[in-house]
Amino acid sequence: MHRNFLKTDQLTVAFGGIVALSNVTLSIAEGRTTAILGPNGAGKTTLFNAIAGAVRPTGGRVFFQGADITKASPSRRCHSGIARTFQITQPFSGLSVRENVMVPLAAGGMSMKQAREEASTYIDFVGLNAKAEDPARVLSTGQRKRLELARALSTHPKLLLLDEVTGGVDRPSIPELLNVIRRLREERNITIVVVEHNMEVLLGLADDAFFLNRGEVIVEGSIAEVADHETVRRIYLGDADAAA
Amino acid sequence: MLEVFGRRPYLVLLVMALLLAPVPFLQLNDYIVHVLTLFLIFAVFATGWNITLGLLGLKTLGHHAFFAIGAYASALVSHYFGVSPWITMWLGALIAAVAGIIIGFPILRIRSMPHVAIVTLAFAEIVRLVFANLKDITRGELGFWGIPPFNPIGIGDTAIRFGLGNAAGSFALAAVLFVGVHLILLLLLRGRCGLTFLAIRDAEAAAESLGVRLAAWKLFAFGISAAVVGLSGAVYAHYLMILTPTSVAGPEMLISLLAMIIVGGVGRFFGPIYGALLLTATSELLRDFGDYRMLLYGALIIVFVFIAPAGIAGLKPRLGRKPAEATKPVEAV
Repeated sequence: MHRNFLKTDQLTVAFGGIVALSNVTLSIAEGRTTAILGPNGAGKTTLFNAIAGAVRPTGGRVFFQGADITKASPSRRCHSGIARTFQITQPFSGLSVRENVMVPLAAGGMSMKQAREEASTYIDFVGLNAKAEDPARVLSTGQRKRLELARALSTHPKLLLLDEVTGGVDRPSIPELLNVIRRLREERNITIVVVEHNMEVLLGLADDAFFLNRGEVIVEGSIAEVADHETVRRIYLGDADAAA
Repeated sequence: MLEVFGRRPYLVLLVMALLLAPVPFLQLNDYIVHVLTLFLIFAVFATGWNITLGLLGLKTLGHHAFFAIGAYASALVSHYFGVSPWITMWLGALIAAVAGIIIGFPILRIRSMPHVAIVTLAFAEIVRLVFANLKDITRGELGFWGIPPFNPIGIGDTAIRFGLGNAAGSFALAAVLFVGVHLILLLLLRGRCGLTFLAIRDAEAAAESLGVRLAAWKLFAFGISAAVVGLSGAVYAHYLMILTPTSVAGPEMLISLLAMIIVGGVGRFFGPIYGALLLTATSELLRDFGDYRMLLYGALIIVFVFIAPAGIAGLKPRLGRKPAEATKPVEAV
């Protein structure tokens, strides 16, 4: 197991005068599911964007499997094994579900015929086969989240970044979605980093956690330790007892 | 990609080709054939522009510059160096493609669509001014006349002649250009290219995160789009045999072509063709209205945008959809 599968070193991201991430140093181990926690505006999505290459860091570096990827484009990071989903889902709405999954397959060099056939594997995995030929724009939020998972999965990722995986999804649909994510790790041994507000979800999903506040990592450890930490309870969970 | 191409795009194109094929033999009035020839050339122009505007989703407003570049490049080389227009038309397309790739580079860095529009519009104005001021070569706004028509083609004892005044031959050439360009674009855009362009249009960040190389694909789109527009410009030049910078790169050309795409359906493969047919014909029919013609033309565009915002190509699916399908509820996960 690679202990520093993904590593950030003194990672800083500033937007003008606003520092969204400040000297964030963290290591994520291979094969684990790691949660990024924090209140709104803590810098979780900025951290995701910096790891995925969507945001250029102001300072610090990002390493993936020991290689410095700080200056690599998002597409290069994808080809090296990093895939992501988005907080606000970004389907290719003018394309069908199948065509959505074909985009990364075709970008990876597969012929259109092969991509069309291969897409079925990923659409089946996330349980969207009944919707395969429907336009992506008619999908519900939960279905869009699953579509993003299928697309990400088709890039054969080693590291999967899931941003607000249950955000906007109706409660009865959440267990099935989480089951898909668990299968990703169990059947495909994918390392997962997940941003999620729902602590109940994280306790059943994650192994480790980092708690961010105002762009800094202030608590890290196992998910149980972090969830039970006095500072986390005070800032994040609004625990009156901890605050007292 | 169903929304863009419809269910049977090759069949639609075949029907169009079959409708066009008998026109040169129908002994129609030369003026009507002339209007139809212009429609075919403008349809190719509008389809080329629609690649970046509708399929890639970049709000470019300077494609009339590529039309002018293709037209002038082909006309100047054939006029001054005596090269056959059959060769220079491809040169015009190539030079337009290179210009498209060059203007594509700064566009890559611009995320704001209004800025993309302004930069491309400014580019077109620069091109117009360059052609207007190179008076020793282009004769500026006086007009570059004497552009040679396409060389005649002999079939048996019959010579097919081209250029203004040879309506049937010119129409046939424009029809071959129209069908050929649309067939090649269908083959190209129904595959990996179209899939990638639409992905970039709908969610650029997501496409890039899934391994799509944005810069390369955008430059490719600009190159293809400009080449098609440049080719239509070259055919236009050798058909009319006179060019002025304002007629090919001026605001009237911009508005007319943009209107054709909007009225036909932005982002629909066949949309610009329908738009070009309707607006070229309407523009000619309204000639009797004198100075009020452009006013009526503009009003028609506004009315059309209100009653069919998805364009003519968007009308069919909406009208054809069954009520049950239209109201089908979105299922939960």
